[in-house]
Amino acid sequence: MSYPTELLKGTLKTIILKLLADNKKMYGYEMTQKVKELTMDKIQITEGALYPTLHALEADGLVTTETEYIGRRPRKYYSLSPAGKAKTKEKVKELANFIDTMTSLLDIKPKLA
Amino acid sequence: MYCLSDQQIDFILNDLHTHGITTESLKSDLLDHICIIIEQNLAADGDFQQFYSSVIRSFYRQELSEIEEETRLLLTYGHRWALSRNQFFLLLFTLLIGPFIGYDLLCTWMVSLSQNHIGNFYGELWSSSFVFALYPLLVFLILWLTPDRFDPLIPRKSVILIGIRPFIKILPPTGQPAASFAWLVPICSNLNEPRPPLPPPFPDI
Repeated sequence: MSYPTELLKGTLKTIILKLLADNKKMYGYEMTQKVKELTMDKIQITEGALYPTLHALEADGLVTTETEYIGRRPRKYYSLSPAGKAKTKEKVKELANFIDTMTSLLDIKPKLA
Repeated sequence: MYCLSDQQIDFILNDLHTHGITTESLKSDLLDHICIIIEQNLAADGDFQQFYSSVIRSFYRQELSEIEEETRLLLTYGHRWALSRNQFFLLLFTLLIGPFIGYDLLCTWMVSLSQNHIGNFYGELWSSSFVFALYPLLVFLILWLTPDRFDPLIPRKSVILIGIRPFIKILPPTGQPAASFAWLVPICSNLNEPRPPLPPPFPDI
């Protein structure tokens, strides 16, 4: 089962920032695979959503890039800038708060382990 | 594991460019992404062309250029002017009739300065502007009186972004498809060709 796009739209930036916070530097394909692995295929980031968001984060100064060449083709690694590190904490906190509010609003009882 | 040749990498780059990916850094990202998928999933003696076609098809809904458009939109969104549908038409109205009103006011002011009142000069000046004003007023009247009418270009509750590349971008309300002008192209380019079916009307909100 995978989640509908509407549910994921507002969380993509937070997901990417958190991935980069936990993994120092990553390239696009690596991010999609990592998310699939961590969510057991429940969340699949599409290329059409990932790269525009990465470019927007770069334009906002939240991520920096470095390019390495694999033979003839360039591979762009993304990592968090100092501003991005601060933003990640803010975004994760904001999302956690939102989840708490939705849990309360929808009267969802958290699963006990 | 499949090993891509330089010719195949050039082919992918050209194909991305042909299908609307023109931003170099985005092209590099997609090239690397596609190459990894091919190298990891295609057998050493597999059919490159067929596999590439299936991979690239999974990247988009209608056209590959959606990724380029989305990237540009996100990069420029902060620098865009977001207008509601009514604000957009008000802006159009102002742009269409504003120069005439401005010209009339300027002439009125200059004539009054010269103390030289010529016959029914004011009447002619303002009546001509009124005639020009009728066209946008008519559009306004139609929109005001028939708010639920079928409007393929700017649906109700849309947000219109004014910026650079593209100059005007229409974001339809959630759940409705983006306004598309593509169906207009064959109509304009060749009137003898059979017209493609019009997009379905948007449901009432």
